[in-house]
Amino acid sequence: MFKKVLQYLFISSIGFPLVFLLLLSLSRSWQFPAIWPQQLSFANWEFLQKSNAQLFQTFFLSLGISLLVAVTVTVLAFFISKEIAYSKRKSTYLFLTYIPYLLSPVIMAVIFQYYFILTHLSGTFLGVALAQFLIAFPYGVLIYINFWNKQINELEALSYTLGANKWQTLKKVLLPLSKNALILCFFQVFLISWFEYGLTNLIGTGKIKTLTVSVFNFINEANIFYAALACCLLVVPPMILLYINKRYIFIKR
Amino acid sequence: MQPLLHIKNLSKSFGNESILTNVNLHLKHNEVLSVIGTSGSGKTTLLKIIAGLEQQTTGELWLNENEISNQPAQNRNIVYLYQEALLFPHLNVFENIAFGLRLKKQPSIDIKTKVEKMLTYLELEKHKNKMPHQLSGGQKQRVSFGRAMVVEPKILLLDEPFGALDSHTRTKMQVLFKGLVGKLNISALFVTHDIKEAIIMGNTIGKIEKGNWQQYQNKQAFYDDETSGVKNEIAFWKDIIT
Repeated sequence: MFKKVLQYLFISSIGFPLVFLLLLSLSRSWQFPAIWPQQLSFANWEFLQKSNAQLFQTFFLSLGISLLVAVTVTVLAFFISKEIAYSKRKSTYLFLTYIPYLLSPVIMAVIFQYYFILTHLSGTFLGVALAQFLIAFPYGVLIYINFWNKQINELEALSYTLGANKWQTLKKVLLPLSKNALILCFFQVFLISWFEYGLTNLIGTGKIKTLTVSVFNFINEANIFYAALACCLLVVPPMILLYINKRYIFIKR
Repeated sequence: MQPLLHIKNLSKSFGNESILTNVNLHLKHNEVLSVIGTSGSGKTTLLKIIAGLEQQTTGELWLNENEISNQPAQNRNIVYLYQEALLFPHLNVFENIAFGLRLKKQPSIDIKTKVEKMLTYLELEKHKNKMPHQLSGGQKQRVSFGRAMVVEPKILLLDEPFGALDSHTRTKMQVLFKGLVGKLNISALFVTHDIKEAIIMGNTIGKIEKGNWQQYQNKQAFYDDETSGVKNEIAFWKDIIT
């Protein structure tokens, strides 16, 4: 019984904010002390697509940046972390990996900004993606670093002596064994990029508006209905990732 | 007759630390050479150099009539087996054994025939669909042998393969391995720190101590060598009986 109550409490704690956001996004007027909104309609959703905000375009722009950052970090960090893990200077490289996390992403953005302006990357899609990559890449390395252990090293060596070349070893041994680490890295980096605000706002200079930046803009404008609407779109990809994670990874384990 | 493997004046250092010094070793066709040595004596490094997983500092490695020092591991056809079975955890028993054959892109029907024949040799027919975590230590080690032998390597390098097994399983594995060596005409270097196992498994014996290699002409020479430890072992058992 107690376990059931805890389960319902857990589900409610996740479900309530989502339902509340959806309700808020469908509201036009909701004033104290009313328990329910006075008016429910799709007007917000229709208006935002017609207005300058063009929220759906913003959604796909954010998705593009996050996918680019997540794929790039997942692939590059996989190979770089291997070099670090088997390097004699592993501890030095790992120490350097933690440095971006000692500073906040916004401070990192301030440091980057000068160079981004010089290279004309400031306010561009590529610039924002590159800045997010620089923040997320060390995180990717940290996710993989424990995967490259002695056993993996020996399995790789064994594969070579059985006649496999580097590509075959990667395809038939390393990638299948690292599947969980690869998926974890992709999901985590995608979420870091997707919810990134300070750095994106600074490097994007208002020209590259991601969904997270738009949510903050609506909040600053005190427009809670539009902010809720943007939040509804904001939680869609993480929810899909959570579902895939639960459906295809945890069940297989 | 030309030896299958001939190592000439091979040395290996890591920085200032010398691991192997002037090793001269030869292995004949269809012969098992037992390599005895304590931990840290350099025997694993020697096997890794032969396999192509490490590069020697100086010296030559001849396989038949070819100098193979610059050949990558995948082109040597020398399989190195670790103390642990190291089965690929994402593949079942059949696929683990078929691994090397699939790399060579052999026809599926040939792979099936060869793997099933090997499963019969290893008495593992009933377990072919099991995953590695469902096998006992001895079964894992048998699959590991099968995976190595099915590719018909020129040389099999075994680095204390029975070290992690209990004494009963170890004895069974020794008998099985001896049988397979006879059936499949295998040439192998068998590393162990157990004198009895070295005598049982090898046609000839060599000893490595602090990076220095000594290969005995025959088992009698090994027995006669005061430093080989054989006489101490015999004296120990005699003392217990008397």
